[in-house]
Amino acid sequence: MIFKGILNGCSSNIVAQAEELNGFMREHLSCGDNVGSTIAFYSKKEEKNALLGLVPTESVELVRVARYQPENILEALQTVENTEKTDLYLFPSGYAGSEIAVRWACRMKGSSLVQVKQIECSGAQLIARKTVYANHVLGTFKLTKRPYSISLAKGCADSQAITIRDKRIVTEYDLTGLQKDQFIKHSKWIPSETTQDLEAATFLIIGGRGMQTKENTQSLKKIADAMGAAFGVSRPVAMSAWAPMHRMIGVSGAITKPEVCIVAGVSGTAAFYAGIEKSKTIVAINTDIRAPIIKAADVAVIDDYKAVMAELAKIVLS
Amino acid sequence: MNILVCFTTVPDVEMLTDEDWLFDKNLQIDTSFLKPTLNSYDESALEMALTLSDASESVKVPLELTALTVAGSGATTILKTLNALRFKRVVRIDSHDDLRFRPIAIASILTQYVLKHAPQDVLLLGRQTRIGENARTHLLAAEMLGWPCVTQAIRIELVDRNHLMVTSQMDDGRLRQRIQTPCVLSIGDAPNTYMRVPTLKDRMCYGKRPIETLSSKDFQLSDETEELIGLEVIHHKRAGILIEGKSPEEKARKLYEGHLKRSVRVQERLAKI
Repeated sequence: MIFKGILNGCSSNIVAQAEELNGFMREHLSCGDNVGSTIAFYSKKEEKNALLGLVPTESVELVRVARYQPENILEALQTVENTEKTDLYLFPSGYAGSEIAVRWACRMKGSSLVQVKQIECSGAQLIARKTVYANHVLGTFKLTKRPYSISLAKGCADSQAITIRDKRIVTEYDLTGLQKDQFIKHSKWIPSETTQDLEAATFLIIGGRGMQTKENTQSLKKIADAMGAAFGVSRPVAMSAWAPMHRMIGVSGAITKPEVCIVAGVSGTAAFYAGIEKSKTIVAINTDIRAPIIKAADVAVIDDYKAVMAELAKIVLS
Repeated sequence: MNILVCFTTVPDVEMLTDEDWLFDKNLQIDTSFLKPTLNSYDESALEMALTLSDASESVKVPLELTALTVAGSGATTILKTLNALRFKRVVRIDSHDDLRFRPIAIASILTQYVLKHAPQDVLLLGRQTRIGENARTHLLAAEMLGWPCVTQAIRIELVDRNHLMVTSQMDDGRLRQRIQTPCVLSIGDAPNTYMRVPTLKDRMCYGKRPIETLSSKDFQLSDETEELIGLEVIHHKRAGILIEGKSPEEKARKLYEGHLKRSVRVQERLAKI
């Protein structure tokens, strides 16, 4: 199978994208007759060499664009790409990857699937697996029309640092003049905090709907800060604006892998659990013994989280 | 400005017990006993449309909201609620097909509705449903319509008859853009967008207005290019050791001594550095 990875070099998370794609390629596409290359988009000339060092394949097409605007990226792909020769396009996890993966397949009259965890290549056929039913079920899909275009699920592969040192085969394009984004009359970028600290945390305390108020959420965050833990929340807490969105844990937030994860007042939906399932130790504190999180934890305390966390903080800080 | 909000209702699968998670040979599971609820992203889309409607008078932009679902009669209760919330038109495209994993079919219905039944300026829908998790319908609809698409919208404001200000959550920041219609907008994790509850008076006055019903047989459903061939339940099980004690203090002490001491101590030290 001939495959291509697509990187968004305009994004600040380019290293994570590259290492994720590299891990997935090595895990699923490193054997047999598979041949891979990369298309990497970037906008700033001075970042080109750094981007080149992050490409997970020896062959790369570097495409310079004004910015990573989806309509222009799709147009750029149509300009540089010969789909007759490519069987599979791989996009990193994240919003940008999923959007282009689907629309690109649609334009190429191929098949697409997003948030893919695993693939199996069998000749020219592609079997892909992804979660469905709010993360309760793993669905297996057969993609029936090539070219196949998929985006990865967060945390689906162990990220692997790029180790290629040989001279790369580079083809360059300058498509900064594309103007498919004229429906946008004004645009302003607003930097915001990311989930990176949660994803890197070794000790994590997470509050759920059981916190009931914004004030309680802030109190638990203070305890987490005092104990040296990163602080996260479940989706209902973020959706109620008791905590910022970048604190959200789960399939639409951070996928974490701490040594210790204390989960307070969280029922434990499967979509939430996906964000903590790689934890070494999960401690659940909840008043409801029937909450799904109790069976999914290593250790559980059935009690009011506020009282238990206050006592735990006293012990830890004494 | 005509805005079409597309939504779906889904069973609350969090209510299923371990024993309930059984798929038959046709890859179906019985969820008939579960109450249908609004898909959470679609709920945000509906509420954001209503917020735009609230603002339309002050910015002097006439707005016509249509809510549409492709579903059986089980969606009637929610459609009546949307009537009571003063959506101008409430439409059900009657279908009893298994549409869980058919985003191409749904997108083709939405496209035909916009092109043949009721022209629109904006198509607004949640980014994915809780059941299929396809996350593709809005993108496919944009491609079929030939419209631009802005994804992960978390805030929408009216500018004038042809423009919206859309704030989107990106992977590493936010983008605030003034967009010219027509366009497709998909809604992401937008805080404070739980759908409002209609007043009793509005329920009485508007809730019983007729629901426009069309048949899916009047639409051409495009074939999928991905075929579901298997479903396997994921079990999230760990030891679940319960810490017993007479007081929160005793439980916290046992938790710390038995399970956290070494790890938390390390973190405590790190915090003091």
